[in-house]
Amino acid sequence: MSAEPVILGLHRLEVGYGEALWPALDAELRRGELWALVGRNGSGKSTLLRSLLGIQSPMAGRIQRAPGIRVAYVPQRGDYDLSVPARVLDFVRGGVDRGWSFLQPGLVRRHRAAVQAALQITDTEALAHRQVANLSEGQKQRVLVAKALVSEPDLLVLDEPTSAMDVVAERGVFDLLARLRTERRMAVLMASHQLRLVPEFATHTILLDADSGLALAGEAPAVLSSEAFLARWGTALT
Amino acid sequence: MEDTTTLSAFFDGWELFRTAALSGAVAGALLGVLGVYVVLRRLVFLTAAVSQTAGLGVSLAFYAQIHFALPATLTDPLLGAALLTAITVAPMILGKGGHARRTDSLLGFAYLVGAAGALAVGTRIVQESHDVQTLLFGSAVAVLPEDFHTLLILGGLLLALHAWWWRGFSAASFDPAGARVRGLPVRLLDATLFLTLALAISVCTRVLGALPAFAFSVLPALAAVRLTPNVGWGLVLGGALGAAVGFSGYVLAFVAELPVGASQALVGAALVFLVEALMRAPLPRSLRWGTG
Repeated sequence: MSAEPVILGLHRLEVGYGEALWPALDAELRRGELWALVGRNGSGKSTLLRSLLGIQSPMAGRIQRAPGIRVAYVPQRGDYDLSVPARVLDFVRGGVDRGWSFLQPGLVRRHRAAVQAALQITDTEALAHRQVANLSEGQKQRVLVAKALVSEPDLLVLDEPTSAMDVVAERGVFDLLARLRTERRMAVLMASHQLRLVPEFATHTILLDADSGLALAGEAPAVLSSEAFLARWGTALT
Repeated sequence: MEDTTTLSAFFDGWELFRTAALSGAVAGALLGVLGVYVVLRRLVFLTAAVSQTAGLGVSLAFYAQIHFALPATLTDPLLGAALLTAITVAPMILGKGGHARRTDSLLGFAYLVGAAGALAVGTRIVQESHDVQTLLFGSAVAVLPEDFHTLLILGGLLLALHAWWWRGFSAASFDPAGARVRGLPVRLLDATLFLTLALAISVCTRVLGALPAFAFSVLPALAAVRLTPNVGWGLVLGGALGAAVGFSGYVLAFVAELPVGASQALVGAALVFLVEALMRAPLPRSLRWGTG
């Protein structure tokens, strides 16, 4: 067992609309772990993320956050209206505010170093003055991650960050998340239905299947070699 | 015979036109700023819906005065207008109008209920119909000093609030899920934004009329968001362009002998056309501020 303290605990958690999507789920997330939340479309990945983020109430069970942890969220690309005018720099600065800090004039200026660091680690410094709407899908995703990083979170939650990407851009995002996990000791939780890169990058996996009522969480090698996984996606990783 | 519709004649008679011309500028600046949210959140029919439902509220108040003999405080027409305006924006404040298409439908629904309801109730309060029009739709031609002062104070307060809270309004408008996770009071910010929009639109409609209020809440912001690189500068430029449209629209109405509201709307439309042409012109990237 890891020596790191638990920063997010799921205890007998059930989520859904009217009835639970799958049986009660238990999991404990720690710093330096990358959790892949896998399952087909409609398996309840986004619903689980929304519950963990406090946007939606769970049906049963408990979500325990370590006191004072900072969480940042990168929603699905479709949830952002990128027709809103914003240069990369402006977009990333938008992630500075937490709580009521928007009332403080000059806050963005005081967080210049954090903005610069977020641009640097996501390799988007050179794009700083470009309009977000004009970037490639891979670049846009890196900018979304930069915006989430600027508030220096302990836990980064991403919903389908590699959808609509080519394989090179997809690997770039996974590489970036792996760097955040190892260099910044950040916990990362990402929903994905792209399984190809999960075994290489994920330390832990949550497998969801609403059709057969399955919810399985644990270390990635154990989950990805489980009978339940192989019965559903046995050939997907080959 | 001396031509009385020249630009110099306008400034010679400045004392006479000052209140109305400056009212156009103040309303243009206020709605030019708030219009950036209207345009970017695809709420352009908010103005039309608010003015129509306010009309129904005023009509219902007169109807109640005539037919139910209620106390005057309960049947104040402006209370009726405020109540129906609040009901119009309530679904958006309560988060039921988050999806753009749903918001659009709700605004269309509110517009139609307001328009049809006011017409239907109007047949039962014929003798009051002139009062309804007077209460609801001001005239951009001549503005009473007390209305100008109301507009000036309200405009100052709302612009100050928007200058202070703009980062919060922007986060709640364009990244609500991320903002909620970061602990911003998204529901409160959205409610405040919609209430300030409803207040600004209803007061500007009341002082200047529905057409210029609609024009100010859409056209300067449309031009501003095309020209600027981000929402912050869009708000600043939206306000500046709105003030220019309101003032120059009044001057044009005087010089060309046009209806004031129509003139202000046409100046705004010409501005949008000009900006769109400019953005499509083959200019070098270094000369473009808003794109990159």
